Amino acid sequence: MSDLRVSIGAFFAIVGAIVIATGLLSTARAPLDTANINLYAGAAMLAFGVVMLWLARRRA
Amino acid sequence: MTLAPVDYIILALYFAFVLGIGWFIRQRVSTSEDFLTSGRSVPVWITSLAFIAANLGAQEVIGMCASGAKYGIMTAHFYWIGAVPAMLFVGVFMMPFYYGSRARSVPEYLRLRFDEKTRALNAITFAVMTIFSSGISMYALGLLFELVLGWSFTASVLLSAAIVLVYTFLGGLTSAIYNEVLQFFLIVLGFSPLAILAVARAGGWSGVAARLPAVMTHTWKFVRGASENPMGVEVFGLIAGLGFVLSFGYWCTDFLVVQRAMAADSMSAARRTPLIAAFPKMVMPFVVIVPGIAALALSKMAVGYAIPLKPDGGPNYDLVLTTLMAQFYPSGLLGVGLTALMASFMSGMAGNVTAFNTVWTYDLYQGHIRRDAPDSHYLKVARVTTVVGVALSIATAYLATHFNNIMDFLQLVFGFVNAPLFATFLLGMFWKRATGHGAFSGLLAGTLAAAVTHGLTVAENKGGWLGSTLHVFPSTMAQNFWIAILAWSSCFVVTILVSLASHAKPDIELRNLVYGLTRIPHDPDLPWYKRPLPLAAVVCVALIGLNLLFW
Repeated sequence: MSDLRVSIGAFFAIVGAIVIATGLLSTARAPLDTANINLYAGAAMLAFGVVMLWLARRRA
Repeated sequence: MTLAPVDYIILALYFAFVLGIGWFIRQRVSTSEDFLTSGRSVPVWITSLAFIAANLGAQEVIGMCASGAKYGIMTAHFYWIGAVPAMLFVGVFMMPFYYGSRARSVPEYLRLRFDEKTRALNAITFAVMTIFSSGISMYALGLLFELVLGWSFTASVLLSAAIVLVYTFLGGLTSAIYNEVLQFFLIVLGFSPLAILAVARAGGWSGVAARLPAVMTHTWKFVRGASENPMGVEVFGLIAGLGFVLSFGYWCTDFLVVQRAMAADSMSAARRTPLIAAFPKMVMPFVVIVPGIAALALSKMAVGYAIPLKPDGGPNYDLVLTTLMAQFYPSGLLGVGLTALMASFMSGMAGNVTAFNTVWTYDLYQGHIRRDAPDSHYLKVARVTTVVGVALSIATAYLATHFNNIMDFLQLVFGFVNAPLFATFLLGMFWKRATGHGAFSGLLAGTLAAAVTHGLTVAENKGGWLGSTLHVFPSTMAQNFWIAILAWSSCFVVTILVSLASHAKPDIELRNLVYGLTRIPHDPDLPWYKRPLPLAAVVCVALIGLNLLFW
């Protein structure tokens, strides 16, 4: 945790996973959406989190 | 808008992480400088992102989205000419003096360069202003959550304040800065899906442009005269008022942002902080302004979205952001969006609290109340000040619920005080003949000029309290720009005149404080992307490109 990239990476990886899971479990959509947005936004956050963790690991 | 359990889980997870970061950083704090200036040890990528995040409060996010719906892409002027050029200037030209002087705060630089009274004037107004603005944004957040989610005003104000208090109390400035980076990414990742979804639903940028008057999608095409655009501003007022006086006054002298750069681990890192920050700053309009513009386009389509209304029937632009979220974010992402809103509020508040803390402890307490105590005493004072600062912010938030007029009045007065500041710093840093008497009287003259201009002109029924009206402005924005221009010019002229009539400091006392008596580092060994001038040149090219793209 001493490296900020680990904290940020872990946070977004977990949030991304939660949002993807929500998208998989529930098909409820917001009024103006035409796709399952939780899947895409969750994947983006998960990817960002993993990249941050990878950056932290590479430097350590 | 109703939240599902998953949204609360995400919000709780965020709270756990910010508190966790504070908990881990507390081990690094053993002196007052660790607590108040991060001991000048923070890596440059962190200070850069904190530099923008500290300014990116909840009011900024909500207000920029609102302005997007009200004024269109012209709102981006607040970023492109209203921030980026000043950020380049502070990094390239001013940071060598701030960082090189070893001052611990901006008011302390004024004491080293000028004298005690100039510092006291700046420190006191700054301290009052930071508490005030953190209280006001707390008030805005509490109201919004009460309206949109039905949360109790007291509960959201106290909970968010308590969390900010805990992590700034534990880790001081470092903790605030580290959390600002997390908050920055959360704001970007939490709000950019909204921009993408809203623009896509309106048929892409060309679809947005086709549904709106041309003035909403051009930044420069309609500024020849004030009547051509909804902001009511013309090109000279825009460039000189916003692009020069207001923006340089804020980004180059406001300790809230400058403090982030001063925490960097080297002179080179301190100079690069605002330059690197300029890149994300340039693209922030796409995250915070574009959703507002797209919302207006959506309201002209038959998709069931309308701009929210006030009780009196006028548009309530401040609710555009949250109503848009309700339309596009399903449970899950909605939790992320609301957490981002909470994060923007916290980054703004922590920025104010930590800046207040340093100015109170070093400039007011150590400067005027107890001068020669051991460092452990000042560390204790700084921790107590954190608690007091948060408590005063909460008190201000409650004051705002009862006395809205007092708040408007104070905001106006702070504008008068701030407008002339940049003239003082410009002369202080680049003209060694400028004196303390000159700076002090210049600041007073500038503030007075601002007040008198406001008293003699009228815009949207504001101002004109001096009895006679010399000029009527098409909008309060234009009035503000011109007040700033006149305040700055008065301060500039009076500082020069009084300086010439008073006794200057000898050169030896001005070393590292003034241009000509300071060695400006050139770092020829560093690669180009680590040197200030080439970085600034890249920013300039990108900035010109963006302005041409949205001409």
